Amino acid sequence: MIFFWRQTVQQPDCSIHTDPLDLLRRFVPTPLKAVYRIGSLRVTVQTNDITLFPAFPLVDIPLPGERLLEWKLIRDLDAPGLLDPPLFLTCGALTIVEMGSACFLGLDHERGELLGFIGAEVDARTHQEFLVPFLCQMTNEAFLPAEEAERSGFHATEQTND
Amino acid sequence: MTTKLAFNQETLLFRTDVLVAGTRCLVSTNSCDILRAAAQSPRDTQRSCTPSFEMEVMVESALDVVPEHAAHFRGNRHLVFAKLPPRSFIAFDLLRRRVHAVLSNAAARDLSFWNTRLLPITIGVLGTTLGVVPLHCACLDRNGSAALIAGVSGAGKSTLATAMSQLGFALLSDDWTYISKHRSALLAHGLYSPLKLLPDAARFFPVLRHFSPRRSLNGELAYEIESVQSIGLSATGISRPACIFFLERTSAPGCYLLRCHSEYVREFFTKNVERLPDELPAAKACRASIIKVLSDRPSWILRTGESPQVTAEHLNDFLLEADRATA
Repeated sequence: MIFFWRQTVQQPDCSIHTDPLDLLRRFVPTPLKAVYRIGSLRVTVQTNDITLFPAFPLVDIPLPGERLLEWKLIRDLDAPGLLDPPLFLTCGALTIVEMGSACFLGLDHERGELLGFIGAEVDARTHQEFLVPFLCQMTNEAFLPAEEAERSGFHATEQTND
Repeated sequence: MTTKLAFNQETLLFRTDVLVAGTRCLVSTNSCDILRAAAQSPRDTQRSCTPSFEMEVMVESALDVVPEHAAHFRGNRHLVFAKLPPRSFIAFDLLRRRVHAVLSNAAARDLSFWNTRLLPITIGVLGTTLGVVPLHCACLDRNGSAALIAGVSGAGKSTLATAMSQLGFALLSDDWTYISKHRSALLAHGLYSPLKLLPDAARFFPVLRHFSPRRSLNGELAYEIESVQSIGLSATGISRPACIFFLERTSAPGCYLLRCHSEYVREFFTKNVERLPDELPAAKACRASIIKVLSDRPSWILRTGESPQVTAEHLNDFLLEADRATA
């Protein structure tokens, strides 16, 4: 069963951000916030678009010893196009994924944060059925013990340089 | 199909270093094309400065067949992402001062991609974390002293810079100038980016008719002259900022210079630089410090309703007079 519950409902704020000194869209407000549990991780999701929240149960009470992680997901109305096949980079403390201009993701293992831009044309279904599992996989691989990550990970067709 | 690439010492076997805007960049790559491109850049042969940042460049054939996209930049906290034609992707880590680039073969083989895209964009994004402040202004050198020409977009900085170059100034930059502090002195760096002039500039510079305008990175149609020497101008890479002019266009004829205070300079640059995230307090402080020192340089508002050539002659006369007065 998919359970989706919100304590305070706020208006989504994904209006076009036009600060001329913020061409990279670093300062797009992300006023919407919810907390989830992924494996043994407690993940706070911040976003400017309600449809980017994962359709998972929310959690209230922290468990002892659970690791904290943050996802900051920005709906980018100026990013054109649909998702391209993922280009997946692992570089030291970072995992970076690019899927065309419609999706940039960066996971910083040391800082415990996953930062992402998701284009306007990526619909809610694609987000829930493809991107959210993908984000969970990235999170799992980076932060869960190897055996636990293997149990919960999904497998994509891959071409690697290993 | 997912393409997975691991950036590490096993996959990036070739190493070299280059000097960019006074900073030393360690380059690791899997590509001889990138080594060749880096060999064209200045090198710190005496290892006089410590490495400022690392750039890992992987050339990947899988990118040669992915869809092409227009240039697209996004940033969040300390991470910046860039899609760059042809079919390339770059991630910048501003906290760790690292650049991870995946290039198509077309990008890797194109020396101009290295010189006019990858290096200027890297310093533009990473510069403030390295003590190099990118400022949106033209810069012209004469005898080791530089005049900076600032102004809002469309004020005519590039056409004035071109006209001043025709009077014998060496062009450091017509668009972005990179300012660093070496001990107590400021240095202005140019990165040999193309001189970019909008199509209507051809009425002032007939030589442009030998070139064709093309779409630049921001989508504008413009003449992009990669080698200013090809149109009879001289260029330089480094100078010392001596004075600043804030260019303003007016409809009234004439050309006027109004002295302005250091507060005006500081406010202009502070209000026109990119906002930086709270994750980069040292970069913010460094930039504020460089702008403060720069704002102590003599500066004027240059209000003109004249052509670039007439304005350049007026400015040249003014600078010669100032030089004579100083001497």
